[in-house]
Amino acid sequence: MLDAIDKELLKKVAELEGIPKGAYNIRKNGKLLNREVSANINIETNPQGNGIIITIKPGTKNESVHIPVIVSQAGLNDVVYNNFIIGEDSDVTIIAGCGIHCGSSKDQGHEGIHEFRVGRNAKMKYVEKHVALGDGKGKRSLNPTTKVFLEQDAYAEMELSQIGGVDSANRLNEAELGAGSSMLITERVMTDGNQIATSRNQIILKGDNCKANMISRSVIKGDSIQNFYATLDAQAKCFGHIECDAIIMDNGRNETIPALKAGHPDAELTHEASIGKIANDQLMKLMSLGLTYDEAVNRIIQGFLK
Amino acid sequence: MLELKNLTFTAQNTDVNGKSSIRTIIDNVSYTFEKGKFYAITGPNGSGKTTLAKLIMGINEATSGSVIFEGKEITGLSITDRARAGIAYSFQNPARFKGTTCRDLLAMAAKTDDEKVIVDIITRVGICSLDFLDKPVDSRLSGGEIKKIELATTIALNPKVAIYDEPDTGIDLWTIDPMVKLLKKEQKNHNTTTIVVSHNRAFLEAADVLLLIKDGKIIYRGDLKGALPLLNDFSLCSFTNVCEGELNARCYR
Repeated sequence: MLDAIDKELLKKVAELEGIPKGAYNIRKNGKLLNREVSANINIETNPQGNGIIITIKPGTKNESVHIPVIVSQAGLNDVVYNNFIIGEDSDVTIIAGCGIHCGSSKDQGHEGIHEFRVGRNAKMKYVEKHVALGDGKGKRSLNPTTKVFLEQDAYAEMELSQIGGVDSANRLNEAELGAGSSMLITERVMTDGNQIATSRNQIILKGDNCKANMISRSVIKGDSIQNFYATLDAQAKCFGHIECDAIIMDNGRNETIPALKAGHPDAELTHEASIGKIANDQLMKLMSLGLTYDEAVNRIIQGFLK
Repeated sequence: MLELKNLTFTAQNTDVNGKSSIRTIIDNVSYTFEKGKFYAITGPNGSGKTTLAKLIMGINEATSGSVIFEGKEITGLSITDRARAGIAYSFQNPARFKGTTCRDLLAMAAKTDDEKVIVDIITRVGICSLDFLDKPVDSRLSGGEIKKIELATTIALNPKVAIYDEPDTGIDLWTIDPMVKLLKKEQKNHNTTTIVVSHNRAFLEAADVLLLIKDGKIIYRGDLKGALPLLNDFSLCSFTNVCEGELNARCYR
């Protein structure tokens, strides 16, 4: 059964109004709450009993699987190991995410370690949202890890976002790209108050003609701190790009270090990085459309994190 | 309808030796723009055209003098309040946004997300293609594309006064005439008081009144024909104060 808090968290992290259609696995406070498999998507608990294995049959098209996590138990730090095996020629969307509701002074957290093996010519879209709610004073931490292995001509699009309320986040994204494969990672993080978020990304471009594009958008409000580190390690004829932008508001602090390593003469790697306040010309444009200063700031941030 | 009274704008200049001085950019300008007329503001580079336009919109704050709009003093009003009163401004170098799309800007200008209204605006603008709608207004757009979107957002506001600062910058030759026709059509259909800052002859010819600005003063008001002798003088050399003729290697001609 889903209670009101569960429903609110599910809506925030997975845009679900209730139990989803198709395959899903809802984990609540470290335990399985609900699971449904479909003809093409199987979900089973792993042999260690500390996570799930999601297997998508080769050729599965236009199907999705929801795997949200809810942490509402005071003092719980939930660690889960999930494996995704995406069959050849399939085209699937995986909607993950974790919502913490903290109602006490005890710390709560979630660490999701996700490993993806995307088969030849398969397409995977992975959407992960993190949010923490509640009036409790306990520290809310979310430390996700994703490891992605792309086989020949596979494609992965990853949308990773941390919407708000998370006191501490340590994210690690690792990827290894096979020949002809491509990957787009978009990370959006907003921090406020005294929150800290660090994102480390290591993308190895291993196969010929693979492509990686990493986009990071950070909004740093209050006294919060965000750090972003990304390395593209090119070991073949490939293309890679890192684009990282941080908007600093109030007293926010940021360290952004994009790194490019070319271990092959035909590697093409580029990066662009920017840190700064909202540009004055953007504010003036929106104010000239009749928005107040505060409305203009909100719209610019909304667009930036969209 | 829009009256400038003894409007002055000064800026502090600091030279390489750290010595500061006050420079007058707009010098005691008084002028009244009439409702529904098409004005072109022209003049040499650095004469104060854009500054004057920005003073009307409130982007620059007047040092002294006043701006009166529909009988009300608006000199102390913010950009937001002037926009809400019905003044719109099309920037010479439009802002670029990461993530914000043309649709977002048009929706903000038109105060609605209604697809039909937004498509109607694009159709009304004509020069701005529907393909732009869901593109982010970012550095990937060309100079010409972003200017068209800028124009569309100004028109979407249905303003009483529309100020266009060099709307033809970055626009291909074939779009300038349709752009002039569009601004004239908006002026006629909506009785928009239109003020265009431009060097382009097409806009100068389209104007009911041409204002010629030099050294922060309006030195001519009238039609293009009367302004031509003065404009020809400007086109010869705008460095007459410093230039000592062809013997001087620093001649910029």
